[in-house]
Amino acid sequence: MPMRPSIHRDPSRPAAWGIVPVGATSLLRELPIVLGGVGLFYSVMAFARYWSGPVNSQAEISLHPVALPKYALFSVLRLAIAYIISFFFTLVYGYVAAYNRKAERFMIPLLDTLQSIPVLSFLPGVMISMAALFPNRQLGVELGSILLIFTGQVWNMTFSFYSSLKSIPTEMREAATAYRLSWWQRFLQLELPQAAIGLIWNSMMSVAGGWFFLMACEMFVLGNRDFRLPGLGSYLQTAANAGDTRAIVWGLMTMIGVIILIDQMVWRPVIAWAEKFKLEQVGSAEVPRSPMLNLLRRSRMIPFAMRVLVLPAREKLYLRFAKWHETRSLTKSTNRLSYWALRALAVVVLAAIAYAVARMFSVLAMLSSAEWRHVFGGAGATFLRVELVLLLAALWTVPVGVAIGLRPRLAAIAQPIAQIAASVPATALFPIILLVLIRAGGGLGIGSIVLLLLGTQWYLLFNVIAGATAIPSDLKDVCNAYQLSMAERWRRLFLPAIFPYLITGFVTASGGAWNASIVAEYFHFRGQTISTIGLGAIISQATDSGNSRLLLAATVIMAVMVVTINRLVWRPLYALASTRFKLEG
Amino acid sequence: MSSPITEKLRNAVSQNYWNEAVALLRTCDPAKAAEALGDLPFEQQQRVFRRLPLDLAAAVVVQFRYYDQYVLMHSLPVGEMRALVEKLHPDERMRFFDELPEEAWQRLMNELSSAEATEIPGAQEAATVSVPEPQLTPQAEAIIEARQIEKSFEQPDGREIQIFAPMDLGIEPNTIFALLGPSGSGKSTLLRILSGLTQPSSGSVRVHGQPLGSSTPNIGIVFQSFALFPWLTVLENVEVPLVARGLQHSARHPQALQALAMVGLKGFENAYPKELSGGMKQRVGFARALAVKPEVLFMDEPFSALDVLTAENLRGELMELWIKHEIPTKSIFLVTHNIEEAVLLADRIVVLGSHPAKVRADFHVSLPQPRDKKSAEFLVYVDYIYKVMTHPELETGPLTKLPFPRKLAYRMLPHATAGGMAGLLEFLNDRGGEEDLYHLAEELLMDVDDLFPIVDEAVLLGFAESTRGDARITPAGEVFAEADIATRKKLFREAVLGHVTLMQQIRSALERKSDRAVPLEFFRDILDEHFSQDEVQRQLDTVLNWGRYAEIFTYDSQTDRLLLDEAPSAVNSSDAAPLH
Repeated sequence: MPMRPSIHRDPSRPAAWGIVPVGATSLLRELPIVLGGVGLFYSVMAFARYWSGPVNSQAEISLHPVALPKYALFSVLRLAIAYIISFFFTLVYGYVAAYNRKAERFMIPLLDTLQSIPVLSFLPGVMISMAALFPNRQLGVELGSILLIFTGQVWNMTFSFYSSLKSIPTEMREAATAYRLSWWQRFLQLELPQAAIGLIWNSMMSVAGGWFFLMACEMFVLGNRDFRLPGLGSYLQTAANAGDTRAIVWGLMTMIGVIILIDQMVWRPVIAWAEKFKLEQVGSAEVPRSPMLNLLRRSRMIPFAMRVLVLPAREKLYLRFAKWHETRSLTKSTNRLSYWALRALAVVVLAAIAYAVARMFSVLAMLSSAEWRHVFGGAGATFLRVELVLLLAALWTVPVGVAIGLRPRLAAIAQPIAQIAASVPATALFPIILLVLIRAGGGLGIGSIVLLLLGTQWYLLFNVIAGATAIPSDLKDVCNAYQLSMAERWRRLFLPAIFPYLITGFVTASGGAWNASIVAEYFHFRGQTISTIGLGAIISQATDSGNSRLLLAATVIMAVMVVTINRLVWRPLYALASTRFKLEG
Repeated sequence: MSSPITEKLRNAVSQNYWNEAVALLRTCDPAKAAEALGDLPFEQQQRVFRRLPLDLAAAVVVQFRYYDQYVLMHSLPVGEMRALVEKLHPDERMRFFDELPEEAWQRLMNELSSAEATEIPGAQEAATVSVPEPQLTPQAEAIIEARQIEKSFEQPDGREIQIFAPMDLGIEPNTIFALLGPSGSGKSTLLRILSGLTQPSSGSVRVHGQPLGSSTPNIGIVFQSFALFPWLTVLENVEVPLVARGLQHSARHPQALQALAMVGLKGFENAYPKELSGGMKQRVGFARALAVKPEVLFMDEPFSALDVLTAENLRGELMELWIKHEIPTKSIFLVTHNIEEAVLLADRIVVLGSHPAKVRADFHVSLPQPRDKKSAEFLVYVDYIYKVMTHPELETGPLTKLPFPRKLAYRMLPHATAGGMAGLLEFLNDRGGEEDLYHLAEELLMDVDDLFPIVDEAVLLGFAESTRGDARITPAGEVFAEADIATRKKLFREAVLGHVTLMQQIRSALERKSDRAVPLEFFRDILDEHFSQDEVQRQLDTVLNWGRYAEIFTYDSQTDRLLLDEAPSAVNSSDAAPLH
């Protein structure tokens, strides 16, 4: 077996890195990085000053476009902090659920339920507790808003991390055990890389969800208190309330601009960088690229920082944890105390949950039968609406998605356009749509369907495209060779091939549509409230009016319905898809 | 175009004259019979095959490619199929097993050892299972020792499933230990218990006398799926266990590089696993395991995910490292389903049975390394293991002695040179192909005692026949006599390798070594057991003469070593040339 060394070095990268870059071109290259760093530093400082200031929960929202950059910055920082909290929550929750078999038994159903609870239902609890924690600081209200965003984006990330940990190949895990990897080394070299791809895609989805609910999270009424935080979401909401079309358009454009910027500056580079975490054992031809990542890679500052700061720190941590692991594994059995502490903690948590459940039932028992009828009627209406939306979405995305997926050249053009279209939060478009609809004589009954469609169709479209792209060309050749008719092709090849992807899309879209109903069925517009019959409208209205009993009842019903539909419909279909309709490479 | 036999067979079958069809196949040689059979439609093939007597079926079936062989065998009831497999020549059977994909092999083994197969009365006849080397005497204190370990799993319905019954097992130093067994026999579980990855349900595992857990053994593991981290480079992968041991960069870097160099991956440090072929990935797996300088190297089906040639190559290299003591490992523990691999590598073999697993046989393999797959002793071991595995009903103990004398393998070579034989064949050919030996001696002015070895040589190599004082040239001999020198060398080489066991051994030994050299002393030692002192020298002289003429090897008298003749190019280039 002849063995030649293969060289993997970027020829544009100098062999040795100086501290100070020399020459105008390299200075230009470093400039964006420097500016970015300075900007980040400044905004953090500004935010910190604002946070530690006194409470101002009803900021006056200026509709002047000049105020937009500031608002955009506030919103982005809120999203970023919410994301960071989500990330760490994900790591801890996913880790415990994956490795503690007893905890797993109730942590996963709990996660399932939490995921099905819409953002607004968390609102009263979150805001009241935060206001109580920081009564005199803006921090309290801000944290409340951030936690609301957090509740909208954390769950799918946690699920992804948990299932990645569960799907680590046994032999890899055994290799880690046999070679006595410390907890830290195992985490950094096995678990996090294994979870990276799923975590990144779910992070993107989560942040998109954050944008979707931004208006609801930055501006809301809680009983008799009106909360209004400076940000893009409240700008758009204020503009809609005032019916100021010009401001709506300005706000919308700013939001789209920020979303595209974040996509280019953060997600594309991260995806390109994460390519190495793909589990596939052979190299693939098509690799995602990112100019931003190339810029970072070519810069001298980043590798220098890596060499001076990151790598030595990593090395030290590895060795420290290795030593710790060595000594600990020898004195393993003596750790009685932490065992009992864990038990005690588990008992406390279970007791708290039991108390909460008991309280919940006692509150629900107080609801009148008329209120129950109202809630069930709303649930029925929203159910029909969601299913109709899924059907409508499937009707156009399946043919279009397959058409795009089968033609690589078309996909190359359509994919980025669709991605930008999908990244625009439907809620931001809503004021414009409502304007059009009201002018055309329609109400929120149709409007909510359009909004739900705008919010959920993309999950289907992208999954269908992915499914169609994955159809092996052999099978397409077979269809050509035997001259199958179009109908036959759909029946024999396309539909079965995209089925698993379609189901994945449906699961996400269905859950998303239920959650989105809270903003789609109830809207403040031109100084008045427009709503239609539905569970989402009930939740929104109950939040606004501070009717916690109704809010609880509606939330429970929504969670029960979403979880039930998932268990009864989607999960069996998913199982079918992953067995019978799996295309094996 | 079909042969006359095919035509006849087809006629017989079309008229349902089954007995005639069978009789027809018996009259012709197996290759022809198989060809004719293969030309029939598949269903008729099976119907004829089912009617063949066992010996004929065995002779015919091995002529087919392994997949056809597999399918044809399955046209028989399972009991008869087992009888047929047993009837195969051990060599042929091994080749068949070797070529079968792992899954097919596992399925076949399960079928052959099923209750159905063992019920038929004929199976009892094979009950004299014998083992090559009898009792095990513990040579030294075990590095890792398991006492009365047992493993069971609880089913969802609360029932306990026993994976294996309580057993004792020790890994002694300086041993390659192979664990063989059918699928589901818990061999991998056993490896995981001994290496500390899994806890036994009961019983204890001790490392140097200390219970596992209080002292961690220094082990390396090689996995079937390689278990490399795809996001780390080759070097980083090898460094993973060294980092875990808290080694500073300056200490672990050279250690990792050295391990990579050992497995021949120098220059690949910065490649990612997905850029490597399967064989190279497993080399990384070996490097990672060897980098920690393990006391025991565990290997879980390390060659099963590789193609046959790559596996062969890697096995050879591993053995060379082991024999030369270039790896720091004291013992190797190998789990495999491949009988041949076990006999090729292991010093001690344990065969597990299933449901629940228990030790069915445990014995030492006392063949010198490198081992010759074609040697009779090798086949005895393979045959024995095969029988143990396919006869779960048999008691394998008490163990009996080797069934036939071990010295049978070497037949004495006539003391004659290649050149002498060439002269004889030319002469015979000129004389019309047949001559009385005494006339011949007279004509050649030779003593008849000097002529006999030359004739013997020609007979041994298939170039002549000799009956009642007459020598007769064979067709092969005629070709030889009329060929030019390069072609003669080629024919001679084929004949020698085909008929002389020692020559085969020498060549496979040379090919197995990476430096392509073996001391002549090695073969002298082997022959010492079979011949007298003087005869050994004469045998070696003959072998040297033949081997050099055939350009199989060269001999360096300075170092007393045989070197593989790497460039028999003169011979190969003449392959294309017509004979005369």
